[in-house]
Amino acid sequence: MSFEFTPENLAEFEELVTHYPEDYRRAVTLPALHLAQSQEGWCSPGVMEYIAEMVGTSPAQVRDVVTFYPMFFEEPVGKYIVRVCHTLPCDLCGCAKIKEHLCEKLGVGMEETTADGKITLLSTECLAACDQAPVMMIDDDLHGLLTPDKVDELIDGLE
Amino acid sequence: MGKPKELRILYENLDVPDMHTIEVYRQHGGYKSLDKLFGMEPSDLVDMIKASGLRGRGGAGFSTGMKWSFVPKDIEPKYLCANADESEPGTFSNRYVLERKPHALIEGIINACWTLGIHTAYVYIRGEFTLGKVRLDAAIKEAYANGLLGDKVAGQDFALNIYTHAGAGAYICGEETGLIESLEGKRGQPRSKPPFPAVQGLFQKPTVVQNVETLCNVPYIVNNGVDWYKAMGSVYKDCPRGTDPVNSGTKLYCISGHIEKPGVYEVEMGLTANELIELAGGVRGGNRLKAVIPGGSSAPILTPYECDVPLDFTSLQMAKTMMGSGGVIVMDETVCMAHALTNLLDFYAHESCGQCTPCRNGTPWARDISKRIEQGLGEPGDVDRLIEVANNIANVDTFTWNTICVFGIAVSWPAVSFARKFRPEFEAHIREGKCVTLPVDEAVTPPEENYAWPQALAEAAQKPAWD
Repeated sequence: MSFEFTPENLAEFEELVTHYPEDYRRAVTLPALHLAQSQEGWCSPGVMEYIAEMVGTSPAQVRDVVTFYPMFFEEPVGKYIVRVCHTLPCDLCGCAKIKEHLCEKLGVGMEETTADGKITLLSTECLAACDQAPVMMIDDDLHGLLTPDKVDELIDGLE
Repeated sequence: MGKPKELRILYENLDVPDMHTIEVYRQHGGYKSLDKLFGMEPSDLVDMIKASGLRGRGGAGFSTGMKWSFVPKDIEPKYLCANADESEPGTFSNRYVLERKPHALIEGIINACWTLGIHTAYVYIRGEFTLGKVRLDAAIKEAYANGLLGDKVAGQDFALNIYTHAGAGAYICGEETGLIESLEGKRGQPRSKPPFPAVQGLFQKPTVVQNVETLCNVPYIVNNGVDWYKAMGSVYKDCPRGTDPVNSGTKLYCISGHIEKPGVYEVEMGLTANELIELAGGVRGGNRLKAVIPGGSSAPILTPYECDVPLDFTSLQMAKTMMGSGGVIVMDETVCMAHALTNLLDFYAHESCGQCTPCRNGTPWARDISKRIEQGLGEPGDVDRLIEVANNIANVDTFTWNTICVFGIAVSWPAVSFARKFRPEFEAHIREGKCVTLPVDEAVTPPEENYAWPQALAEAAQKPAWD
C-alpha cells in the first residue's frame, strides 16, 4: 500500500516545510499527516512510511505520533466522520440521548463504521462549544443544540 | 452598587458581519495599537504590561509582564507560541475570537513580538477548530497582503512571520511544554521543568507560550494605557504572602450546563459566581443550584454555599479553587455528583499522556472507583480510597505532585473536591447500593466544613463599582 502526495498536496507540503527551521524538519510531521490523511482517508502504513521519508525521520517515529493523537486514524474509516461530544457540559445537556439515537439510526455502536462504509461514529472529548451543547461534528462542520430530529435531518442530508 | 453587566472589550463588535475580514476589523479601530506600539521602547512595553496587572488567562494566572521580563534579550532566534488549543471542558471563548475576530489575535501577536524581539510566531490551534483555522489562515494572508506581516511590519524595520499549526485532538497539548513537543512533531508529552520555555523552549530556543485571550488584551493596554486597564477588575488588600492581589481587566467567562442562557460573558473580573449565573438568566427552569465548577473542569467544585465568591484569580485561589480558563459549568438539583465526577475522570483517563505512572494508572483507578460508586457497586471506604488515590497522583492539600506536569493536580482537584464536598451523596450510593440523587441540602457537606473563602477578604476587596 504505497502512498504519495498528489502534485497539489506536494506543493502544499513544500510550503509547510518552510514554516520551520531547516534543522527541525520533523516539526512538519503533524501538518503533513493532516494533509496525507485528507488525501488517503487514514494514516495507512504506506502514509507513515512516506511521511517518515519526507520529514527525515523513521516510520516508527511517525507511528509514535499517529498513535498519540485521536484525530489520526490507524484504520480505514467511513466517508463521513461523525464525532459526538460526551464531556460534562454536553452530558448535562443530554448527549447520551443523542448518542443512543445515532447508534439506533445507523445500526452501529460508538467507534464503529456503518456496513456500507458511509459513516464512522465516534464519541469525542470536549469540542469547546459547550454553549451549544449537545454538539457533534460531521467532518469539519460543527452542529449544536442537537435534538433527535435535528440529528435525523443532518444524517439524512449526507449523500 | 448596581448589578454587574457585560463590558465588551475583547468581544467588542464580535457580532458585526464580516468582522473576520481586515477591512471591517480596521473600520472598527483594528490595528490602531500599532501606531503607538512602534513608537515605544520594548523595555518600556514590558514595564507597561507588568504595571497593568495583566495575568495569563490560560489557567495559571501568572503576571504576563513578569513572564516577559524573563525572556533573554541577547539570544536569537526566539519564538512566540499562541496557545489556541482550547480544550479544557467548559471553555469556548477562544473559539469565537478565532472564528469571528481573528485579526485581534494577530494584532496581539504583533504587539507581543515587537515587545520581545521575536520574529517567528506559531499559533497552535486545536485540530477540531476547522472554521477557526480557515478564518485565521485567511486573516494572516490578509495581514501579509496589507504589509502588517512579513519583512517590514507596518513599514517598520521589523520582520514577523506567523504560522498556524493544527493539533490533532490531544488535551495535553494545551500544557505549554506539551504544546512545544507537539509543535516539534512529536507526541505531546510535557517536559520536565526547569529549563522553563522562556530559557529553552521550542527548537531549544527561548519561547513564550501565551493564551489567545491574554494576547488579545495587550493591544488594548498599549492603546488605552495602564490606568485605563487597571480601573477594571478587582484589587485586594491584606492578602496572604504569595497571593497576587491584582485582577485587572475583563474576563471572558464561558458559562454552560444547566443555565438558561449559556454563552460567553465578558465582564470585569470580580463578579461573584451567583452574579454570573444571574447575568446568564439563572439556573435552567428555575431549578435549584447544586454545584458550580468555576474555572474549567480541572478547578475544584463549589457548593451553592460558596457561590458568593468573586470569580477572580485572588478570591478563587483563597477559596482553594481556581480561575483556570474561566469555564463555568453549572449543575442543577437533578445531577448525580458521582455520575458527573465519573464523566470528568473518564475525560482525564482518556487524556493522560501516559508518561508518569501515578497519572497514567491512578487516573483510570480513580475513575473506576467513582464509576462503581455511581453504579451502586461501591464498597465502604471507597470515598476515602478515591481521595487517597487522587491525592497520590497530586496532593491537593500540600499542593505537590508526583507527575511531570500539572495534569496530575487537574485530576485530583475535581476528584477530591467532589468527594469531600458532596460526600453525603457518594456515601448514600454506597449505603443504598444504587444511584441516588439527594436533595441539594442533604447532598452537600455542611458549609462550615467545606467553605474556605474568608469573609474578611470580601470586606477588603475593592470591587468594581458596577454602574
